[in-house]
Formats: sequence, C-alpha cells, structure tokens
Amino acid sequence: MHFNDGLAQLAPLSIAIPIVVACVMLSIGQRAPRVVVDTVAVAGATTVVGLDAALFAGSGGRVINWVANWLPGGGHPVGIVLVVDRIGAGVALLAAILMLLALIYSARYFESADAHFQCLMLLFLAGMNGFALTGDLFDMFVFFELMGAAAYALTGFKVEDRSALQGALNFGIVNSLGAYITLMGIGLMYARTSQLGLAQIGANLDHQRPNALIVVAFIFIMTGWLVKAAAVPFHFWLDDAHAAAPTPVCVLFSGVMVELGLYGVLRVYWTSFAGVIPASDMRRAFIVLGAVTALVGSVMCLAQRHLKRLLAFSTIAHMGLFMCAAGTMDASGTTGAAVYVAGHAGAKCALFLLAGMVLNRYGSVDEAALHGKARDARVPATLFAIASLALAGLPPFATGLGKAIGEDALSADGYWFGPVLFVAVSAMTGGAALRAGGRIFLGLGPRPRQTEDSAAEEETPETTQRFGRRSASLVGPIIALIAGCLALGLAPSSIHAIGGGATRLIDHAGYLAETLRHAHPTVAHDPTAIDWTTTGVVLGLVSALLAVGVAATGWYAEAVRRRLRSVLAPFQRGLSGMRALHSGHVGDYVAWLMVGVVVLGALVGLPLR
Amino acid sequence: MSRRVRMWMVAIAGAAVAVGMGLAFVDLPSFGGSHHPYRDAAIHGSVAHQTANAVSAVNFDQRGLDTFGEESILFASIIGVSALLRPSKEEQEAGPSQPGRVMEATRILGYAFIPLVLIVGLDVISHGVITPGGGFQGGIILASGIHLLYVAGSYETLGRLRPVRLFEHGEAIGAGAFACLGIAGAATAMGFLANLIPLGSFGQLFSAGTVELLNGAVGIEVGSGVIVLIAKFLDQAILLGPQKS
Repeated sequence: MHFNDGLAQLAPLSIAIPIVVACVMLSIGQRAPRVVVDTVAVAGATTVVGLDAALFAGSGGRVINWVANWLPGGGHPVGIVLVVDRIGAGVALLAAILMLLALIYSARYFESADAHFQCLMLLFLAGMNGFALTGDLFDMFVFFELMGAAAYALTGFKVEDRSALQGALNFGIVNSLGAYITLMGIGLMYARTSQLGLAQIGANLDHQRPNALIVVAFIFIMTGWLVKAAAVPFHFWLDDAHAAAPTPVCVLFSGVMVELGLYGVLRVYWTSFAGVIPASDMRRAFIVLGAVTALVGSVMCLAQRHLKRLLAFSTIAHMGLFMCAAGTMDASGTTGAAVYVAGHAGAKCALFLLAGMVLNRYGSVDEAALHGKARDARVPATLFAIASLALAGLPPFATGLGKAIGEDALSADGYWFGPVLFVAVSAMTGGAALRAGGRIFLGLGPRPRQTEDSAAEEETPETTQRFGRRSASLVGPIIALIAGCLALGLAPSSIHAIGGGATRLIDHAGYLAETLRHAHPTVAHDPTAIDWTTTGVVLGLVSALLAVGVAATGWYAEAVRRRLRSVLAPFQRGLSGMRALHSGHVGDYVAWLMVGVVVLGALVGLPLR
Repeated sequence: MSRRVRMWMVAIAGAAVAVGMGLAFVDLPSFGGSHHPYRDAAIHGSVAHQTANAVSAVNFDQRGLDTFGEESILFASIIGVSALLRPSKEEQEAGPSQPGRVMEATRILGYAFIPLVLIVGLDVISHGVITPGGGFQGGIILASGIHLLYVAGSYETLGRLRPVRLFEHGEAIGAGAFACLGIAGAATAMGFLANLIPLGSFGQLFSAGTVELLNGAVGIEVGSGVIVLIAKFLDQAILLGPQKS
C-alpha cells in the first residue's frame, strides 16, 4: 500500500502539471512560433503519460493521498483524498495517451488561434485525470465541470461553422443540466452524512435501509455521470457534439471522456452505495439501460452517412455493451468492460483520425459525396479496413478480447441474450464503418442517391493547408492506435493487471478499510483469467464476417431493398421515427433527460420498496 | 417533437422528480439541529492552522484541491470564451460606433469610485484569511473597478488604460502560481498543497501560512481573468461587425 508516500504524491502532480503547462502556453502563445507551442504541449502530455504510467504500474494495491496531509486521524475527516487503483490509473493513462496522440496529430491545426486550442486540450486532460484519480464525491464534480468547460469550448472551436456552435450549445446545456442534478444529489448526501468523501459516505451508509433520501440522492448523482456516458435517453448531445468538434477532439470524446461517465457510475456505486443498494438492483438497471443504449446506437449508426456521426453513434452502441458487461456486477464482467474500453479506444480513435484525414484531403465527410473519391489513398484505405474490423471485434484485437470476456460474464449470469447482443452490435457498427470505408476508398457499389433526410451537412475545414498523404504526424498516431489495440489483444497475460484492478474497483469493504483505517490490502491477488477462449474467438470471427455482410448489403442491396419495399416499410417508418427524435432541438434533449431521471428512478428505486 | 409533446413530457417527468424530491426532503435531518460533525471538525482544523476566516481555511487549506479545480474551471472558461469569440473570417473590426452621451453625474461619480473600488478589492483579497472575502470575491471587485472606466469614460479610454495582453499574462501567472505552490508542497514531501510556510498567529494580517499566498494567487487570476473575459465580450459587441463585401 502507498499511503501519502512518494508514489502517492504523483497523483496530484498528474492533475497540476497539465495546468501549469497550459499557463505557460497561454503566456507564450502569442509570441512564440507555432512549433514551440506544439512542442511544449506534446512535452506536457508526455510527462502526464509518464506520471499516469508510474501510478498504473505502482497501484497493485491502492495509492492513497490525503491531499495537503489532512489525515483523517481519529476524528471526522475534513480533507480530500485521492485513491488510485488500477482502473482509475488506467483510465487516466488512457486519457493521457490519447491526448498525446491527438496533440501530435493536430500539430498543424488551427494556425491562427494563439495557443488556445492546446491550452484547452491540456486543461481537458487535467479534468479527466482529476475525475479518475479522486476519492471524493464533490471533487469528482469539480473535475467533471473542468472537463466540461474545456470540452464545450473545444466542440465549438470551428467558429466559422454555425452548426459547431449549435453542437457545442446542445452539449453544454445537456451536460450542465446533468451536472446540476448531480450537484443536488451530492447536497442531499452531504446533508444526510456530513461527508463528501466516497469512502466516508460509504462507511456512513453501510447496513442502512435504503430510504427515499438515499435512493433519490443516488439517482441524482448518477444522472450527471450517465449523461456523460451517453446512456439512452441521455445520449442525444453526443452525435451533435461529435459532428461539430474537430476530429482530434472527437478522439478524446469517444475514446475516453464518455467512458469516464461509466467509470464515475461504477466508482460511486461500488464505493459509496454498495452497502445500501443491492447489486442485484443495479444489475437490472444497468442491463436494461445498456441493452437499449446498444440497440439505439447501432441502429442509428447504420442509418448515418455523415462519417463522424456514424462513428459517434457507434460509440453510443459500444457504451451500451460496456454497461451490460459492467452491469453483471462481478469481477469478470467489469474486467471485460475495462479491456473492451481500452481496445475500443484504439479502433475508434484510429477511425476518427482517418475521418479527419479524409476531411482534410477531400473537404467532406459525407459517405455518398465521397463515393470513390479516395481511390488513390491506399494506406488510409488499408488502415480504415483494419480499424473497422477491429471495431467489429475481430480476434486478436483487444476489442475482440473485451467482447469475449463480457459475453462470457453475461452468459455465466444467465443472460443468454448477452452474446447475441454483443455480436449483433459489433456486426452493425463495424459493418457501418466498413460500408462507409468501402464506398469512400474503393467506390464499391452504386453511388447512393441523395435523399432528403440524409442530406449532407456542410463541413467546415479544420486545416488551412492540405497535408501530404503520408505525413508522419497524421499517419503515425493512427498506426500507434491500431498497434496498441492489437498488442493488448495479443498479450492477455500482460493485461491481467486490469483484472486485478476490476477486482479492486468492486471491492467495497477493502476500499473503505484501506482509505479510512489504513488497513493493509485485504483482497488476495486473484485477477480473473484473461485469455482467449474458443467460443470468444469463434464469436469474434462471426461478428467480423457478419460486419462484412452488413457492409456488402449496404453496397449492393439497393435493388433487393427496392423489391422488398412493402416488407421493409414498417422498419423504415420506425427508423424515420427514431431519426426524428434526434432532432438537434435542445428542448427535446432536456425533456428526454427529465424522462431519463424518472426511468432511472423507477428502475433502481421501485424494486426496493 | 412538437412543442406540445415536449411540454407534456417535461411536465409529467418534472412532477415525478418533484415527488421524489419531496420524499427525499422528508428524510433529511431536521432544520436547526446542533449535530454538525463536519462544521466542528473544519473549525477545529481552521484554528489549528491559525486561520481566523474558517471559510478560507476550508477553501484554501482543507479542501484546497477543490479550489484548484474551480479556479481552473474559470481559467478554462475564459480561454474558451477567448477562443470562441476570436474574430472569424466573416467578421472585421468596424471600429466603435459614435460614443453615446455620458451624464456628468455618472462621469464624476464613476471616476470618484474607481480608486475606492480598487482599494476595497485589494482589501478584500489581502484580508481573506481573517475576514469574510478572499481572492475570488476581491478579484471580481478589482475587475469591476477597472470597468468603471467604461461606464464613466468611453470604450477608448478603457482600451488605453487596460492592456488586455498584460492581463492575459496575469491570468496565467495567477493560475500557475496556485499550481506551483501546490507542487512545492509535494516536492517538500509535506504533500500537494500542504500548508508549508510559518503559520503566524491567529487573527494577524499575515497568518494562516500558504492560505494567504493561495488567496493572492486566486485574486490575481480572477481579477485578470474577468478583465480579459469582459474585454472579449466588449470587443465582440462594440468593435466587430460582419464583413462588408
């Protein structure tokens, strides 16, 4: 155990250093040449990668830092505690790595705008790190808001683009509303327990009866995190924000920010509420929400032609799968979700960066308008195909491994539909990406007709010059992402650390004992076995094959579809209805958010009566 | 969705949320009780660190990391506003329109109040450890004092006497100083944001150790930041117009 020692002091540094670097960049930004600003930004992100990696490597137990040395002693604790375990350090490390790659990729973006872009990116990183490493509920909210403030501005960064402003506003309003509801929940919890620390609240609530106050406070706190996690029906902001945001920013949104929402839910539930709200109750809520999210996300994903929106809906679909896996409420399911998140970050972020390259070269991200335009781009085409298949869960990519562990955990708990759902969602999202890639890079199938409801959105360029096709700063990060996804899947033994982390994440009693009573770690190292199984490999291959089938249907089945028009009509109407719900009207999104709070309350609260 | 459907959804869901909140409120500890463990512990800690203003002790000492996060939110928001309000290609500087007439009374009172408000601002920041107030509050007062120049004088006077670049540096220095004080604590093995300089004696102007310094850093950051923030909005409202083709 590391208790306020040297390693523990690294945790606050990984929050403070990106902020210091942002201050330096703001000061030198107007005078210094662009290359200096970029170098400082990349150096800052690299330092954070190092700090988070050290925390990840050292957090076999928990790394505990009572900030400013306000130790709990015997009395009532007043200080803030950072509690770092493998999962917390892991998401922080993921955020830092993605930030580093995004900064390298965007080294020549936004020529004119001082160093504002890089400053906001590093502050965004500080927010994500703080959220992942803290063991204090109110501190989580503070860093959640820091993440938000930077993210809203980054979303609207293309000021020439009116839809960017719209996307940023929708994102800002819906997320802020969620955050305020969370804050109300924190207030209720503080009134009840006189505590803000996760462990302190947990100790106070243990063995209590779940009364209305506790349940309502829990639902409210969950709301903000679930808005960030884009769980249906809190998800509406996500595709607007991704469509508007510059592609390097989408990398951070899809790769780690949304996943941090789920991390927040799990962290707060397991640490503070696991002693009062039974896991079986949460399992029901998680699996219902997760399955609905996965289905809505993948159907909407298939229906998109705007490449960034397509990838954004695929993120929603995958969030649904992560929620289902973690929703088993056991170590193996949580391990599956964590591995899946890491693998998904590699595949999805590579696809976003490729979309950014396409936008830079051809000035559009519309699948139909780009039909056959990029036939000469062989390297991007190959990478796009590989990343799409990885998204579909093709072994030996880590996406396939995470998917397999999740499927196993669900069927072991008696959810027979788990594997079906995972395979279907993987095939639909991977297939949609393949379909778009095949059209853009190979010109497969007839050119899709312009239809009214899929009219292309205007896309403002993010760059002032056209980059070379094999520019290392563009292709390098993409290859690194795909290679990372592959390496993680090929070396399951080296990532059994994640299994140990999952065991600790869900270890309520151990967290409280180590944090509040400095007890030595209680849980023996029993990381869930992470390895490929025959079933896992077969189901991974099946979903990759089905994905190719889905793509081929998209390319060639226009004629078939026309013949089957009468049979397909009800589905078409359903799809149009679902599309209409994603209206872009922020009032609709707020209405759905309120409905979501009630649904969540009913799912969690009613069975407890 | 139509407006009607949307309103019904909000109304029904809002009513259900209200019922839930009502049930939760019933379970709250009753109002005016004497059982406040956090308050008691916080005041105990505040006295132990020679900090007469217990609110400052919570903000800058006991829960300094929260304040660090919060001032970073302000910092990020101001950079965000600067980035979003940067002149786009379709906008150009139109120059300020003819200044409106300022009443004599406004002018005299405005100029008279500038030094007064600035002194109050400095006072609120510097006494943050012993009396109510501190860096956040004082910083806002300082920034509003400077904008009396705009109310009493004109946009041009303000522009001449308020170099925005300088305040951008001030903002960065304030936020950076807070972070560096925190890192200094970690470097001395006392812990991040630890109170590592002599605490002085209770109720004195220079007491409470690093609380005083962190307070000052936040004062610089908030004062400069709000000046930059208002400058960006004023530029957008007064100077920039759509491009004339």
